[in-house]
Amino acid sequence: MSVEIANVHPTRLELLRLKRRKAMAEGIVDILKKELDALTVALFDFAKEIPSLREQMTSALDQAYNIYVEAEMIVGPRKVKELSLVAQPIDFDIIVSERTGVLGISLPTFELTKEAPSTLGPRFSMIDSPAKLDESTSLIELALTRAVALSQIEASMMEVLDLMSVKKRQVNRIQYKILPQLVAAIRYIQLILEETERQDSIRVRVLQRKRKERALKAT
Amino acid sequence: MKAWKYKRVMPKIITEKLRLIDPKDMKELVGRSIQDLCLALADTVYREEISEIPSDQLSSLSLERAFLRSFMRTCRQIMDHSPKDISFLLSTILMKFEIGTVKTILRAIEANVKIEEMWNLVVPAGNLNEVECRRILENSQDINEAVEALSDSEYGPALLESIKEYEKTGIFLFLETTLDRFVYERLWRSAERLRGLDRKIGKAILGLEIDAVNIRTLLRCKALGIDKEQTKRYLLPVSEVFRESELEAALESADIESAINSLSAAAEFAHARDYRYVLNDLLDEYTSSLSLPHLELTLEKSLLRANLRMLKRYTPFFNIGLILAFLSLKWTEIRNLIVCARGTEGGVSPEKIRELLIFQE
Repeated sequence: MSVEIANVHPTRLELLRLKRRKAMAEGIVDILKKELDALTVALFDFAKEIPSLREQMTSALDQAYNIYVEAEMIVGPRKVKELSLVAQPIDFDIIVSERTGVLGISLPTFELTKEAPSTLGPRFSMIDSPAKLDESTSLIELALTRAVALSQIEASMMEVLDLMSVKKRQVNRIQYKILPQLVAAIRYIQLILEETERQDSIRVRVLQRKRKERALKAT
Repeated sequence: MKAWKYKRVMPKIITEKLRLIDPKDMKELVGRSIQDLCLALADTVYREEISEIPSDQLSSLSLERAFLRSFMRTCRQIMDHSPKDISFLLSTILMKFEIGTVKTILRAIEANVKIEEMWNLVVPAGNLNEVECRRILENSQDINEAVEALSDSEYGPALLESIKEYEKTGIFLFLETTLDRFVYERLWRSAERLRGLDRKIGKAILGLEIDAVNIRTLLRCKALGIDKEQTKRYLLPVSEVFRESELEAALESADIESAINSLSAAAEFAHARDYRYVLNDLLDEYTSSLSLPHLELTLEKSLLRANLRMLKRYTPFFNIGLILAFLSLKWTEIRNLIVCARGTEGGVSPEKIRELLIFQE
């Protein structure tokens, strides 16, 4: 879209063409700025969710730790350490999919999944462990869910930020490179055309004067 | 009732009971650092075991080991003073700790823990003395070898039987459940071996203890959404009150509250009033708190209360009631000491620590 003045033909047709291009470029900048605004709003919406999610995650972790200590108090730290050696691990997995977000861009979706507990049976000895350990485990799971939600938001924010930087680059290129070049080319053609008009009018006046002189000589 | 056979054990129990820490003193231990706690316990029966802990290894973990060793020493002393049938029962109670040690060894081997690290977890108990524990730990590379090393013990055949299922499924819990079932069945059998009032008290208290394990397992599995067939594998239908059919009926209940109601109906049908008292306490607690950890705490308190109720219902002397009540009080004291030690170490508030303590009313 860039315009080199050296390659510009100073014609009226070219002037009209350049003026149309300038109007179009201004329209594109307008649209890009509106898109940037929409992306900024989306970014702030995502950012607003982060503190509460982070708070929920840390509070779940705090509670889980406190309840874990209480479990150790009830059956003894030795027993809990022992149980942790043979506790059946939970198979957590994160399913990554996509959803359509603002301006139709695809944003990542993370979903935490785990194997159904009913098929696993108890994870540790029911006789040796207190129910507080189950409570602590479920709070850890809650904290994990919050952590996954947090990472989903952060990944979405990264996508939006990437797109914002692309849009910003496009706006800057049009605003600070293409538009000034178009304005300069239009000005150049206008100057050339004005100069040509002036030369033509002088030429016309000279011709008129010569015609008058020839008419006088003839009479 | 032959009162004469208690001539040695009763004075021993009464002396030991007098050595228990007063609830008021126990409450004062709340919030004290581990070092302060050790100093405060210097005048108690735990002095001997605590003094063996090197000062740089002082922690709630080492204290727990010391308390357990002290408990087992007390049990052995009572056993030495007891008549033959009661001595057999006490040996079975001690076997519970031996089974605990076996489970620790098996868990450590299953997890490939280094021997020195394992040694911090193992508390030698019953027939498994330090030398025996070290021999098994050092000579066993895997569970099969450990089970082989334990094959000449009383629970060896049961372990050898369950190792096949473990090899097939890879679920370690089956081994643990086999050991638990073995020891609780033996506990019930040893209660049945008693005679007269001892048999009545023994069956009531030990039956309640075994069924408390079943109640806990059943309610927790229900809360965790574990299916009926899986849960049944971990129940111990040993006693007379909650047999397989009663436990199965409770398993089919829609929720925890109806499961407690179902068990309560079974206890009423069996005319087991101590069970009914315990289950009523549980129902009251659950309807007010809807919390399983609260329920477990209530269960522990109710078991202690049931033990002490026997002393009021029958004469406190010249029967097994006082021995079982003392052991229950002693175990509660050790539990409370661990609560204090770990609570302070873990930075738990004194109010919360006090909430978890259990005292006789």
